[in-house]
Amino acid sequence: MASDDELSLLVIVVDVNPIWWGQQAQREPEFTLSKCMDSVMVMSNAHLVMTRSNKLAIIASHCQESHFLYPNKHWKAGDFAGDESSCGSRDGKYELLTVGNDLITEEIKNLMERTEVRGQQTETLLAGSLAKALCYIHRVTKELEAGQEMKSRILVIKAADDSALQYMNFMNVIFAAQKQSILIDACVLDADSGLLQQASDITGGLYLKVPQKIALAQYLLWVFLPDSDQRSQLVLPPPVHVDYRAACFCHRNLIEIGYVCSVCLSIFCNFSPICTTCETAFKIALPHAMKAKKKKLKPTT
Amino acid sequence: MATSSEEVLLVVKRVRQKKQDGALYLMAERVAWAPEGKDRFSVSHLYADIRCQKISPDGKSKIQLQLVLHTGETTNFHFTSESSAVKDRDAAKDLLQQLLPKFKRKANKELEEKNRMLQEDPLLFQLYKDLVVSQVISAEEFWANRVSMNSVDHSLINSKQEVGISAAFLADVRPQTDGCNGLRYNLTSDIIESIFRTYPAVKQKYGENVPHNLTEKEFWTRFFQSHYFHRDRISTGSQDLFAECGKLDEQGLKSMVGQGVRNSMVDLTSLEDKSLDEGYGISSGPSTSSHNKTLKENSNAAIIKRFNHHSAMVLATGLRKQDAQNEQNGETSSTDGNSKDSDFFQPSVKKVKLQEAIEYADLEQENGRKPVALNLKKSDRYSHGPTPVQCQQYATSQDIINSVNCIRHEIADYTPRLTQVLSSSTASTAIAALSPGGVLMQGGTQQAINQMVPNDAQCELKHLYVAAGELLRHFWSCFPVNTPFLEEKVVKMRSNLERFQVTKLCPFQEKMQRQYLSTNLTGHLEEMLQTAYNKFHVWQTRRMLRKT
Repeated sequence: MASDDELSLLVIVVDVNPIWWGQQAQREPEFTLSKCMDSVMVMSNAHLVMTRSNKLAIIASHCQESHFLYPNKHWKAGDFAGDESSCGSRDGKYELLTVGNDLITEEIKNLMERTEVRGQQTETLLAGSLAKALCYIHRVTKELEAGQEMKSRILVIKAADDSALQYMNFMNVIFAAQKQSILIDACVLDADSGLLQQASDITGGLYLKVPQKIALAQYLLWVFLPDSDQRSQLVLPPPVHVDYRAACFCHRNLIEIGYVCSVCLSIFCNFSPICTTCETAFKIALPHAMKAKKKKLKPTT
Repeated sequence: MATSSEEVLLVVKRVRQKKQDGALYLMAERVAWAPEGKDRFSVSHLYADIRCQKISPDGKSKIQLQLVLHTGETTNFHFTSESSAVKDRDAAKDLLQQLLPKFKRKANKELEEKNRMLQEDPLLFQLYKDLVVSQVISAEEFWANRVSMNSVDHSLINSKQEVGISAAFLADVRPQTDGCNGLRYNLTSDIIESIFRTYPAVKQKYGENVPHNLTEKEFWTRFFQSHYFHRDRISTGSQDLFAECGKLDEQGLKSMVGQGVRNSMVDLTSLEDKSLDEGYGISSGPSTSSHNKTLKENSNAAIIKRFNHHSAMVLATGLRKQDAQNEQNGETSSTDGNSKDSDFFQPSVKKVKLQEAIEYADLEQENGRKPVALNLKKSDRYSHGPTPVQCQQYATSQDIINSVNCIRHEIADYTPRLTQVLSSSTASTAIAALSPGGVLMQGGTQQAINQMVPNDAQCELKHLYVAAGELLRHFWSCFPVNTPFLEEKVVKMRSNLERFQVTKLCPFQEKMQRQYLSTNLTGHLEEMLQTAYNKFHVWQTRRMLRKT
């Protein structure tokens, strides 16, 4: 029965940074945002079809907002007869999929229309989207019937570069997800993202940098469609080695050995007698043995 | 024969061992047997080696004595004298019984300790098997480091605690009916000790009467017969030995009650047992005076008094010991419990106790010290992650406008074409990359090594590592070589290492090769051994140079 199945909720966070995708359209016309959305739709349809009780949510991560593409606030599953334009399934597809795809298309069009050109906001609001995803998962968990269990995971499809300013929020999101046992998978299209590598490492998800963008659908279906129970039975790409080195606060260099202020915990690559963050004074005593040894050597030589 | 210094404690003639006639000699430190007419002992066992002795049951025709050694061996002696076989055997047995315990403890402890250690730690046991049993290293070297660790603990264990007295010790002496109207009391030395400690009056009586007037058996018989022991102590002025004890007990109890409890927090006198009737609880009427009490109440009161006295005496024994140790002036009175209390409740202590009872720390006002505030000047440093400041791809404003327009146009005309998402060729390249051996799967094969090597090989490798580690530890601990003992040890360890390599490592390697395992499992071990050999070689050449 449906109540015996464990529900599986997949939240897909798609990076739709218009600047990056616009540049991408000029660089590589065969793989544009349209193709990406097609692949995402294929994956989401596949997820919904795998088990009747599977749930889905798609969030578009824009540089000005994070917007839910699916499900719609005003739409309830089963409410097919509302719109005249959608006259059921045109190609014999499962109605839920048809409606879902139509919804996603409409929403992404509206979202892109709303895009305004703002010079300062060029970075994807990924941390915010992830936070929204976590909130959505939390809400759905609360709305479950008694006795139902749900496993959720977040798939991030990332296009643009990491934003260093979002670091703190990102880390908070990652640890919150870890606490809630929510996996964060990452599918990276362009440059490697240290933050997402950490996210997948900490939460137990998969990280994949896609070598061929046009085969995105295949990668999504092969690697990210199975849920965590099934993944243990499959041979999937091995985990990436994550660089957990900290960066010093003064130069932002990645260091392996450094000095940490015991008051404010800020990391420095060189010793300085005053911590520049909290202005505490420190002393390092010279090793006395060196002085004593020097004295001893003198009489013998 | 026996060495001249050995003192012969007992000689028993006509003892057969292994169907040969001879004589049994019990000496100061060992037991030995010599055949008839011969000078030399053919069987000799140190008392330290003997674990226990056994005798044949009384009914048997053969009168034998068996010695069981620690190693499990047994030696049988058959006493064949027609007249005095049983007496001889018993004499031998008694003497052994006295002598064995003296020697038992010394050897036993060490061996037991070692056995215990081997049993508790399977890894240690395996190491022992690998190294000592296969003669790579001698047992003394093996135990040299380990036994020293444990002898320290022993000195702590040896300080024993005094065993207390169970309050029910008299009740535990359960009599058994003797068949014909008699009762049989089994008294062990523990019970006797408890009685003496609790009732010093009885001990005094014992000291006075035994062994002059009464035997021990008679004393105890009288004790149990006397009314002193029984439930209802109706003090008939009989010529009972223990009538005096009864009186002393009463006096003791009276003085204890008279002293009262010097704890100002406790008021015992406000508690009274005023019952309406049996089983009817407390009445608030005036307390009944003694002459109104019924006979039943009187006997109840007597039993209760005895219970209280008994409990007080039992408690007092524990405190008496403590006080005896604490105070130099020995004699403590029967008011043991109370003296401690009175010391305890000096006025200052009483005040503190009252304070504690009144105040609650939680309900107090908060007046904690203010902690030093953290003063951060540049807190935005924390919000920046460990990512180095990268020069971002600078996008000119024109670029931005172009990109945004481009994407808007694209999406405005967007219709999903889900049947044309993927071509088969791209799909198959992607699959190839994701299959084992593909571009994306490179890191995975390294993890499989523990699946490629069978479990028993892994176990054996682990044992080899543990054994090699132990030998190398001995070897490396010899450096720097300062004493001649260390020199010898170094040379010995080197030969041990070689022996280990030959007897254990090489067969393992060959076995691996036979199983077609290409992985080099023993490379690291060989490297470690080679380093040790090199060090030894260097040391040896230096020593040669120094000598010449």
